Amino acid sequence: MPTTDALPARELDVRPMLRAGEEPFQAIMDAVSALAPGQCLRLIAPFRPVPLFSVMANRGFAANDRDLGGGDWEVIFSPLATDAESEEVAIGSSSSAVFWGAPIQELDLCDLEPPEPMVRILETLEELQQGDVLFALLAREPVFLFPELAKRQHEWAGNFDASGTTYRLLIRHGGSEGH
Amino acid sequence: MLLASLSRWTMSYFAAALAFLIAAEVLAVAGLGYPAAGLTEPATLILVHLVAIGWLSLAMAGALLQFVPVLVSRPLAFPHLALPALAALVAGLFLLCSGFAVLAGWFDGPLDLLPLAAATLLIGFALLGLMLLATLLSARPVGLFSRFILIGLACLAATALSGSAFAAILSGRGGWLDALSLLPDGLPFHALLGFGGWLGLIAFGTSYRLLVMFMLAPDPAPHRVRTVLVSAGLALGLGFSGLVAPLAGLQPGGAFITTALSVLALASAFYGRDILALYRTRRRKALEINMLASIPAFASLGLGIALLPVAIAAGAGEGIVAALAFLLAFGWLGGLTLAQLVKIVSFMTWLGTYASRLGRGPAPRVGDLVAMPRTGWWFLFYYAGVALGVTMLAGGFATGFRWAMLSCLVGTAGIVTELVRVRLLSEIRVGDRPPVHERPRLLLARADERSSSHADHRRVASPRA
Repeated sequence: MPTTDALPARELDVRPMLRAGEEPFQAIMDAVSALAPGQCLRLIAPFRPVPLFSVMANRGFAANDRDLGGGDWEVIFSPLATDAESEEVAIGSSSSAVFWGAPIQELDLCDLEPPEPMVRILETLEELQQGDVLFALLAREPVFLFPELAKRQHEWAGNFDASGTTYRLLIRHGGSEGH
Repeated sequence: MLLASLSRWTMSYFAAALAFLIAAEVLAVAGLGYPAAGLTEPATLILVHLVAIGWLSLAMAGALLQFVPVLVSRPLAFPHLALPALAALVAGLFLLCSGFAVLAGWFDGPLDLLPLAAATLLIGFALLGLMLLATLLSARPVGLFSRFILIGLACLAATALSGSAFAAILSGRGGWLDALSLLPDGLPFHALLGFGGWLGLIAFGTSYRLLVMFMLAPDPAPHRVRTVLVSAGLALGLGFSGLVAPLAGLQPGGAFITTALSVLALASAFYGRDILALYRTRRRKALEINMLASIPAFASLGLGIALLPVAIAAGAGEGIVAALAFLLAFGWLGGLTLAQLVKIVSFMTWLGTYASRLGRGPAPRVGDLVAMPRTGWWFLFYYAGVALGVTMLAGGFATGFRWAMLSCLVGTAGIVTELVRVRLLSEIRVGDRPPVHERPRLLLARADERSSSHADHRRVASPRA
């Protein structure tokens, strides 16, 4: 994270909001959206905001929390993605995905029971040519698919959407000899 | 993540676990242990530990080695410790049973077998704990699911350490522990932390994640899952306090274990509500055998954990308490494990055999590997035996209990046969099976054929494409 040190963290104190009985979630998300690439968010809350950790993890932020005493907590969310241009993607994703062309085929596999999405993606890939890009929507991270993609020398990049319910997977055919 | 490969030794853990279950059932059919012997007599202790360590703990360990890395999206830490851990646990259990046999006077041996057994088991559980702990903590932030496992592992540590203290005292080598007078007051807490914490709480945590996947149900709301975690954690904390109370010179009375069990029953009620919601909101309407065969297990949990604190508080006889404990061990934990083993074994077999062929030719579905409805009939035998066994224990009918265990044994043997047939691809037509060298091996994943974790590491370090 080379840029983290250069930018001062953006600060957000949600204690007044909570005292006033307001829900701070939207304000936090707005602050996150307004962050510059590589910038951290320093959050002050009157409790340890554990649920927020997983929300922020899905958005690619690591949480570092500290008890300030008196029940108050400071949490520093720092971005994990090294590539400021790409959105945070799963470990193992290809870093060149932003340069891939538009997908020539899209699959919505959200309603299929595992491992059916894996089967459908591998079947579809066999019909594509080297360099072709496939886009798939899934209900979960297809963890058992990734080793198989690597073995067949396909590249991929994937992450959950902002709501954390749909996994978006981009695969570029790597051109291993198919049949 | 890139490294979700098959856990190499999980099938060996499952095979050892099932062998110990069958051994325990054979001994019970032969009339060994309760109700012919007392609840805390050596013969009963042999049976209880064959089930708790041999069957349930090894099956749980095998499943965790496969699914913890998948569920936290991190590679398994120290994967080469899986085999030494299994060897230590199996050897430790044999030593423990031999020690109990000496205690029973069946053969003349040194009682030092007991502390030796405890040390060996401690090593095995420590190796297992190290792998799981390092894997869980490598993923940040530590999620709700991981917290279930972490508390479960803490309970495992408390159970194994207190068991070791008992072993030292029973062998007469516990002179330095005498002041603690842990026996017999600590025994119920030792059992509570083992069955309720290590096995029960982790079953709660993993079932949340796996059931969502198996039934295509929406994830339960985090605050509801957290309620289960907090209340169960409180119950187990009470159990732990009861266990160590003698260290502070306190004698936890019967009310203490009743309270801990009541809070655990409350946690189980919250959990049951969530599981019911998962079944109701599932998008996959047809239930597979693993989810059908889990229903009696959930019912056993509901019945057993609701009645157990009542029975203890009301001063019910030993038979009733034994019946409820049997219902929880064989109906809830045993039933759930057997049911999910069918799914896990068939999925791992399918993945190991067909992943590299997908898209390049015909491949069966995971469910095609399991013989249905025959597998379902074996579960009927098993659960019928459990139900009958509960009745016989409650009524104090020793012979009837042996017949009940025979039914469990028939069901278990049938399920084991089906699992072996899954590994052998027996349900796939001979002509459609892959060539011999690509077929799954019975007891371990083909790590050499699938990309091993080492190969994957290299690939991550120097991506080719």
